[in-house]
Amino acid sequence: MSQRRLIMIAAAAAATLAFSQIACAEEAAAPAAADSAALYERQCGICHDAGGFGTVMLERRVGAERSVLAQRNDLPPAYVRHVVRNGLRDMPPLTRVELPDADLEAIAQYLQRARQ
Amino acid sequence: MSQRQTPPGVSAAALERAFAAFTRVVGEQWALRSEEDRRTYEDLYAFDAVDQHIPSGAVAPGDVEQVRALVRLANEHRIPLWPISRGKNLGYGGAAPRMAGTVVLDLGRMNRILDVNEKFGYCIVEPGVGFYDLFDHLQRERIQLWMSAPGQTWGSVVGNALDRGNGAPLGEHAERICGLEVVLPDGDLVRTGMGAMSNSDTWAAFKHGYGPSWDFAFTQSNFGVVTKMGLWLMPAPEASLSLRMKLPRAEDAGWAIDALRPLRLQGVISQPAGIGNYLRDAAVRSQRQQWHQGEGAMPDAEVQRMIDTLGIGWWSVRMRFFGPEQVNAAKARVVRDAFAKRTRIEFEEQVWRSGEPLAASGAAIPSVSGLRLANWMGGQGAHSTFSPVLPADGALATAHLARVRARFSEHGFDYYGGFTLGERALIFTSGIIFNRDDAAMKARARALFAALIEDAAAAGYGEYRTHLSFMDRVAQSFDFNEGALRRLNEKVKNALDPRGIIAPGKQGIWPRAYPETRR
Ligand SMILES: Cc1cc2nc3c(=O)[nH]c(=O)nc-3n(C[C@H](O)[C@H](O)[C@H](O)COP(=O)(O)OP(=O)(O)OC[C@H]3O[C@@H](n4cnc5c(N)ncnc54)[C@H](O)[C@@H]3O)c2cc1C
Ligand code: HEC
Repeated sequence: MSQRRLIMIAAAAAATLAFSQIACAEEAAAPAAADSAALYERQCGICHDAGGFGTVMLERRVGAERSVLAQRNDLPPAYVRHVVRNGLRDMPPLTRVELPDADLEAIAQYLQRARQ
Repeated sequence: MSQRQTPPGVSAAALERAFAAFTRVVGEQWALRSEEDRRTYEDLYAFDAVDQHIPSGAVAPGDVEQVRALVRLANEHRIPLWPISRGKNLGYGGAAPRMAGTVVLDLGRMNRILDVNEKFGYCIVEPGVGFYDLFDHLQRERIQLWMSAPGQTWGSVVGNALDRGNGAPLGEHAERICGLEVVLPDGDLVRTGMGAMSNSDTWAAFKHGYGPSWDFAFTQSNFGVVTKMGLWLMPAPEASLSLRMKLPRAEDAGWAIDALRPLRLQGVISQPAGIGNYLRDAAVRSQRQQWHQGEGAMPDAEVQRMIDTLGIGWWSVRMRFFGPEQVNAAKARVVRDAFAKRTRIEFEEQVWRSGEPLAASGAAIPSVSGLRLANWMGGQGAHSTFSPVLPADGALATAHLARVRARFSEHGFDYYGGFTLGERALIFTSGIIFNRDDAAMKARARALFAALIEDAAAAGYGEYRTHLSFMDRVAQSFDFNEGALRRLNEKVKNALDPRGIIAPGKQGIWPRAYPETRR
């Protein structure tokens, strides 16, 4: 992916993210699909997109075919939740401040949707 | 599962009462006390048992008034707080507090970019603003300003500058701070510099204001909680020019430093110039086991094979010029001429012009791929950086380099490091990369770090920043007049914060309230 494109994605992600954070601020309804994708891109994609830190590390452990998270079809939401809150090997855990439960839920569901 | 850690002298019941009070300020969602939540704030790259720096919980205010309320309650309940901005201080302690049981004051929710002034080249931001956020904002709004960022950008603009971090293109980020808003340990709210005038327009434009200048007193300090920061950005340049030279031998660093120093001092090179060793390139591109299997530091012959295979140098010298194309070209010529007197090796030169893809420009483009270097040794990667300050002198630097490399070999680690040249001094960074699953290796890493501090202190070189585990020891090495600086810091600390509630122990500054905790 070109740097340009990455920048555009990041910018779009931020725009929707700002919106979804307002939506999530109080008692959150799960964000709409587009927001979930943007949320995933910002919170996970920075490591899990092609060439990212997470992707490189997963390539070492589970092989290239399964290294890009958003293309996986074997990630139950409960597992995603567990990894994000507890970390896994070189993945640091994310706090509930940077990623509130409602956002994590949206991401876990998004990764489910991604496989259909 | 371990028992909940409480701060020294605080009972579990008292902690419960304090949390109940905190919760009334921030709401249930932002008072985090579960075991799982606490663990999300632990130091992933800890040298000691992680429990030595585990918080008893975290609390996340949404605005300045909540910060003030929490600080007042912390006084009332005598609960120490550890402020973090995004808490990604990886290698220096992450989000974890110096003293176990301290409650993390997580400012991540306060993430507004309050102002970006294109005309005067500054921004005013809250602590939770990440490098990604600022970058996206500048791009989206097409603002012709660039930020500067560290080697990995998961963290925050404010936290990094407050810890006096450095990065590219601008070097020392604390130098760019202009105006702070701070909640003092008694809950009072102050603005420094021109911001102390309620109707001033120059808060983030003029540094020192009137009377004593306070901004630096709140960096690497525990005198208050910073809630806003003015920071100078650089105008997006019309062009940039990068020079890079690979040097084949370890000894080459000496003459390169001597060649660069006058150019830095004259301002021909106005940004820090870097000299990094082969492992800086190799560790992000490969893993040790690809090159070497055995215990102990990689033998020289295998290092050479790796250097040759990857096509990298023993050292790589890098610098960049930003601005009008002719000016950059003229400066590059001066640098090339200076180097030509000492070597036949040529610089690789790359010119970027505004409008071309940003990747080649030297602008800070957010990335966290640097994190993978921690996996050099395999297992669960961890690393920390030892970074003393030396005069910018080739002979002194290479003499100390020899001592440092000997220590790395003695402790069985591959040497990772380099020099960042300022105008008069250089920061000599050495990274210790270890596998935190391997207890013996972790112990060796700790022993190496301790030995490096001793050697540097004996030579009169002090560190510019350090990991939680070594804050006291490094503070001790600043020993003039039997530690007069520590006495001054602690006098100020006790005056501002008599109950010692803000970040006890940070940078070796211990309030009177915790006499037993200094190591
Ligand atoms: C691979 C790798 C490369 C790195 N490269 C660099 C680099 O090039 N340059 C560099 O500088 N660092 C580097 N780091 C270290 C670190 O990750 C960054 O400095 C990071 O930006 C710090 O995290 P943060 O910004 O979230 O700050 P935080 O963790 O939020 O803050 C750092 C410390 O400052 C204090 N603090 C923070 N906010 C406040 C506040 N509002 N009020 C009072 N005190 C406060 C606290 O003591 C806190 O622990 C690197 C780390 C890794 C792992
Ligand atoms: C700072 C980088 C980083 C971020 C941000 C990050 N991850 Fe990871 N993640 C990693 C790394 C590295 C691994 C590989 C761990 C290993 O196996 O060593 C990983 C692994 C995982 C795995 C395990 C996959 C498997 O096959 O076992 C899951 C699930 C996961 N991440 C989910 C997420 C989600 C969801 C997010 C966003 C909320 C996220 N990650 C954000 C770095 C990151």
